[in-house]
Amino acid sequence: MVKRDGSRVGVSQGTVSVTHLDSNQINSSGGMKMHDKIQSVKGNMIKADYICNDKTATVLYLAEAMQKPILVEGPAGVGKTAIAQAFSRMKGIPLIRLQCYEGIDEAKALYEWNYKRQLLHIQAAINQDTNKVEEEIFSDTFLLSRPLLNSIVSDSPAVLLIDEIDKVDFEFEALLLELLSEFQITIPELGTIKAKHIPYVFLTSNASRELSEALKRRCLYLYLDFPSRDMEEQILLLKVPDLSEQLAQKVAGVMRRMRGVEMKKLPSISESIDWASSLMWLGKDDVDVDTLLQTLNTLVKHHEDLEKIERLLYSRQDLEFR
Amino acid sequence: MTVLHNLQGFFEELRQEGVPITPSQAMDCCQAVLQVDWVREDYFYSALFSTLVKDYAYQEMFDQVFCRYFNFDASNQAGAKIIPIKSRQRESSEQISISGGQMALGTSLSRGGAAQSPGGSKNPLDQDFRLDSLADIHKLEAVFPIIARRLAAKMVKKRNRNNPALIDFRRTIRNSIASGGVPIDIFTVKKTREKPVILTMCDISGSVMTFSCFALALIASLERFFRKIDSFAFIDDIDEITGLLFTGNPLDLRTHVLKNARVVGPSGYTDYGVSLKAFHQRYRHHLSHKTSVLIFGDARNNWLNDESWVLQEMKKNVKKVYWFNPEPESSWGMGDSRIYEYQKYCTQVFECSTMLKLEKAISQL
Repeated sequence: MVKRDGSRVGVSQGTVSVTHLDSNQINSSGGMKMHDKIQSVKGNMIKADYICNDKTATVLYLAEAMQKPILVEGPAGVGKTAIAQAFSRMKGIPLIRLQCYEGIDEAKALYEWNYKRQLLHIQAAINQDTNKVEEEIFSDTFLLSRPLLNSIVSDSPAVLLIDEIDKVDFEFEALLLELLSEFQITIPELGTIKAKHIPYVFLTSNASRELSEALKRRCLYLYLDFPSRDMEEQILLLKVPDLSEQLAQKVAGVMRRMRGVEMKKLPSISESIDWASSLMWLGKDDVDVDTLLQTLNTLVKHHEDLEKIERLLYSRQDLEFR
Repeated sequence: MTVLHNLQGFFEELRQEGVPITPSQAMDCCQAVLQVDWVREDYFYSALFSTLVKDYAYQEMFDQVFCRYFNFDASNQAGAKIIPIKSRQRESSEQISISGGQMALGTSLSRGGAAQSPGGSKNPLDQDFRLDSLADIHKLEAVFPIIARRLAAKMVKKRNRNNPALIDFRRTIRNSIASGGVPIDIFTVKKTREKPVILTMCDISGSVMTFSCFALALIASLERFFRKIDSFAFIDDIDEITGLLFTGNPLDLRTHVLKNARVVGPSGYTDYGVSLKAFHQRYRHHLSHKTSVLIFGDARNNWLNDESWVLQEMKKNVKKVYWFNPEPESSWGMGDSRIYEYQKYCTQVFECSTMLKLEKAISQL
């Protein structure tokens, strides 16, 4: 990349040499290498029980190469949280999860001083040098670290999952900025703590409100949508053991068409997995209207949607949803 | 042409379509492009998409520009699917990063400011709502999200200011006796925060078309920030539109409401009287002593009954009634404007003839 004054700041490894090569070589050597890398991300994610397409794999690869957090958005139940979990499995490193909620603050997310211990320490050291005591009580021992701090001070690299970031207040978002861009946390009494290992950060959002520009700017953006029919079939086969290929195909087909109906909440991937396994439990090897009506409540979770789908099924007597 | 020249053109095109691209996004994008294999269109696409688009609402626009921009050139360069492949081959890395990078940064910096206030000298926020030319509307449209966010931030701040963590002294001391006077556990006074309950009514007739578009967009963004909010729209019949609104293009919102809600009665002309009466009959139960009612409209009633008693009744039962009138104060009460009649029963009436005034009015609440 280039600084504003034009001086080079070092284009990231490997790519520079590629640009010196002529066209054929790009395709055969350098190009293929990157292609392989992305494909290997994809392959490894499958091994970690997560099927992703090329686009998703590219973003994962880029996040790693550019050391940037990924902001994952998309409808509920398409695997936003699962992608972080799978990524930590793939890397074989721990997952540190921060579940956000309205009113979460730095004491819950970053760090907190262990007030009780500090107080007891002061009581115990009542006759000692006050300066020394003051120094002592603001040291590591009295610091309770919370997920965000844990993720940067852990001895091995970690995956940090900040789940449902859209639930937090504006102020809290600002708190994250330092962590997300510099991978460091400043504690006024202690100084700045830099990350020992840069964590892989995933932020998920249901887009219930718009996130600040500053936060978005620091992240790569990944939008996960409902999967294609083929992909859903693969996911089902992976997630539901003993599912026959034929049934997976049928389920995926029904899901695809059902999502074409206007509903309050479209059935998600996790729901289609539930449905497929409920079919297995019922010992079905085929899907027909009656079976679907019987098991509809695993898929549709809204009263109005339920009525709508039932009406469609009764009146049409097929699984076309038109 | 270098790759980054090409990218720069692409950024410009996106900006023209209203996708905000900041300099730092442009930088990230250049870096990402260097990281992936350009031979494959999907890799190239993801590299651009994940760094440039930070909101799904822009995806369609992005796709369009992506197709247009990169295929347009491909037709000139026999067979090449993505131009950067071709042009890149002729470039040394030095040239790419220096000439292109600087270019990407330089121009985007200069454009960054311009994007904030499209239209140059005249601030679109200060333009009259009644200027209904399409260009004006588009200008307003571009700045609207900024306003909505600013307002939301203000409201949130207001809420937090009222919520200092006061120490519950009695409880803390009483509990400290157990630990020999050392206040091990500190208790704070839990303040029950009164959550605002809002009910909005928006006139969406043709006479206040632009204003109503933005009022709807505003209501949509309010709906995102406050859970307790009921919204209604009317022309000469009133219907509930809570949850019907989405954030996005304000212009589409009005059409969406017209299509999906029963707001047009027998005559089709604005009738505040009938609408208010219908509200009283059907939706009165939505009101409570905690509710703040926000009414958006010009109070031009086509010489029909104004039925202001509904408002009088409402005023008695709710916390506040605010009216936002898009007309300049000088024309209030002229012709068929009944604003002065309604004003008697409002806590406050705001003149909101420009976006700035609307913003100011809302932030005063």
